[in-house]
Amino acid sequence: MDFILNPFVTLLTWLYATFGNNMVLAIFVFTVLVRLAMYPLMARQLRSSIEMQQVQPKLKEIQEKYKNDREKLAQEQMKLYREHGINPFGGCLPILIQFPIWAAILGAIQFALATTPTHLLDLSGRLLIPGLGTTIPLDNRFLGMNLTQPPNLQQIPAIALLALVAVTTWYQMKISMPKPQPTADGKPDQAAAMSQSMTTILPVMYVFLSLSYTIGLSIYILVSNLISIVQTYIINRQRKALQEKMELASVAIDTKNKAKELPVAVKEKDKKPVPQASRRKATKTK
Amino acid sequence: MSFSSVVTKRWRVALAFALLALVVLVGCVPLPTDPSWASITVLPETGQIMLGFHDRVTLLDVTTGQLVPLRNDSGQTRVDGQGNPLRWDIPISNNPPTVFYSAPVRRDENTLLFPTFQRRIIEVDIRNAQVLNPPGTLIDETITATNHIVTDVLATEDALYIPLSERNLIAVSRIDYSVLWTFETRYGVWVQPQMIDDMLYFTSLDHNFYAVDAETGREIWQVSLGGAAPGKPVFHEGYFYVGSFANRLYKISLEGRIVADVMTNDWVWGSPAIATEDELLYVGDSSGWLYALDIRGDGMQLLWQRQVATRVIRATPIIDGNTLIVASRDRFVYWLSRDDGVETFRRELRGEIYANMVVVEPSETVRIPEPYLLVSSQAREELLVAYSLATGEVQWRYNR
Repeated sequence: MDFILNPFVTLLTWLYATFGNNMVLAIFVFTVLVRLAMYPLMARQLRSSIEMQQVQPKLKEIQEKYKNDREKLAQEQMKLYREHGINPFGGCLPILIQFPIWAAILGAIQFALATTPTHLLDLSGRLLIPGLGTTIPLDNRFLGMNLTQPPNLQQIPAIALLALVAVTTWYQMKISMPKPQPTADGKPDQAAAMSQSMTTILPVMYVFLSLSYTIGLSIYILVSNLISIVQTYIINRQRKALQEKMELASVAIDTKNKAKELPVAVKEKDKKPVPQASRRKATKTK
Repeated sequence: MSFSSVVTKRWRVALAFALLALVVLVGCVPLPTDPSWASITVLPETGQIMLGFHDRVTLLDVTTGQLVPLRNDSGQTRVDGQGNPLRWDIPISNNPPTVFYSAPVRRDENTLLFPTFQRRIIEVDIRNAQVLNPPGTLIDETITATNHIVTDVLATEDALYIPLSERNLIAVSRIDYSVLWTFETRYGVWVQPQMIDDMLYFTSLDHNFYAVDAETGREIWQVSLGGAAPGKPVFHEGYFYVGSFANRLYKISLEGRIVADVMTNDWVWGSPAIATEDELLYVGDSSGWLYALDIRGDGMQLLWQRQVATRVIRATPIIDGNTLIVASRDRFVYWLSRDDGVETFRRELRGEIYANMVVVEPSETVRIPEPYLLVSSQAREELLVAYSLATGEVQWRYNR
């Protein structure tokens, strides 16, 4: 982990020194930088979700067609994904990649704000920029809270922070999830409903994480959520354009497929014996 | 298999992976478990070793490294209800949590005071190894619970001077532990203050070196060291020698004037060792470099520097004739030549070494054949090891 952790600790400490020895401001800028670095992944996640939405009707057709042949169903699904350039797990990867970054951020905050002798000793080999050691120790106080401690529920700022973490997580999930579309039979789409249920699960999970770790991490989550909300607004604007573009691409693929199927159909038709009645009809027409 | 069930499964898999990744990767962040390190005190009258670390304080026999048995007035070993011998090992309950990193302070002939990490003073009856005031007296209830005691306390006849980890040095009464005065520092004080002519001298993480009136807590002077200073200054022939995180070692007069300084390669944390007979000073830094300096007169001149270890040297070097003994976080104890720092031999421990080493000399009461070097590591299985000072041969190991 040191190869991720040490640059993070250094960056956080450098930002602290650069932005007037203000740890919260340092975490804010740090979060912005991390989110910018992760933007390509987020965009990929969005693209993946749009692509999945695009092929949903076709997937349903395939499922209906091969509902009694699982092997064929899997083959056809993979074929469809391949044709549309979709990685079925493309939406999960960016989520998973966030966790090592979280772990590193958690460690970075803990080490940079070293509060005990052994923590401070651990910090000594982690600062990669010479001279940065003179900024140590970093101020770990914010609104009467200790950034290295878990939120204390007897402090109003800590309760407010947790509430903000929950609300921003919920809102961020809400605006980034596609609205559930009713299926052909009028029932709500289960997948979309499941996605919607994440808007409930994630805020609870994030509050639990915030309570388990440090206020510094809670601030990171809060700032990260706020940036995500802004990013999602921007991306949602682009979504429509992207959807249209992809629909066009989808139509192109369908047309290509039909074009491929046509000669085969003609050849097979040619092979069929022409009934006598048809021949007579044809002769008459001539 | 419907599409929705496929996607639902994907979400379940993603969530499971996410939680697994979180648990595994957070587990990979190398967060240290102990906030500080062991305190080793040799009781002068018996030569027994008082070891304070984490959840208990124990008294060890210097000849064997075994827990000292409790004896009755006739000198016989006392036993418990089941007939097992009683040992000198302070049983501390975990409610409230109690952790030790400070050396005990003698209150009177039969009582020791143990400062705890949680800012309590525990009074212990030495003969019975029993706590007299469970769960201990909380010092200054008005300050935050995270303001701990991570180093030794200074005791005088009237007061205890207690450095606190987040900020401030406080003086409390030795009788009822009421706060006499508080000297405010912006960050923590991680060194035991030292008293010279009723003045307290100590460094702080707030980059300053302070001189404070011990009676009133009034500041006499302060001098900036350019970086945090968690190491105890050493006083010799009218000057203090102290390092800081500004990668410097300073020579400071009693009036608070920096008279000389020397650049180092990394942070200086540990206190220097001074060979008084030839006025040479030895100090290590956070990258394992060792420095030898000539400190005669007003100046300070670097004689040699050598990287002897791969990680931080926190413990003060030990000087033994022409040999210098250095312990590092890299888990090694090095025997070096004082002339140039060249290694003679080394010994490896299982844990990282932060705590200061202690030399126990043989005497009438301390019946050991030769001087022992006591080294404490952070590993429970080698919490304290006694080496022959001359040969480095292991005499005994104490584990928990």
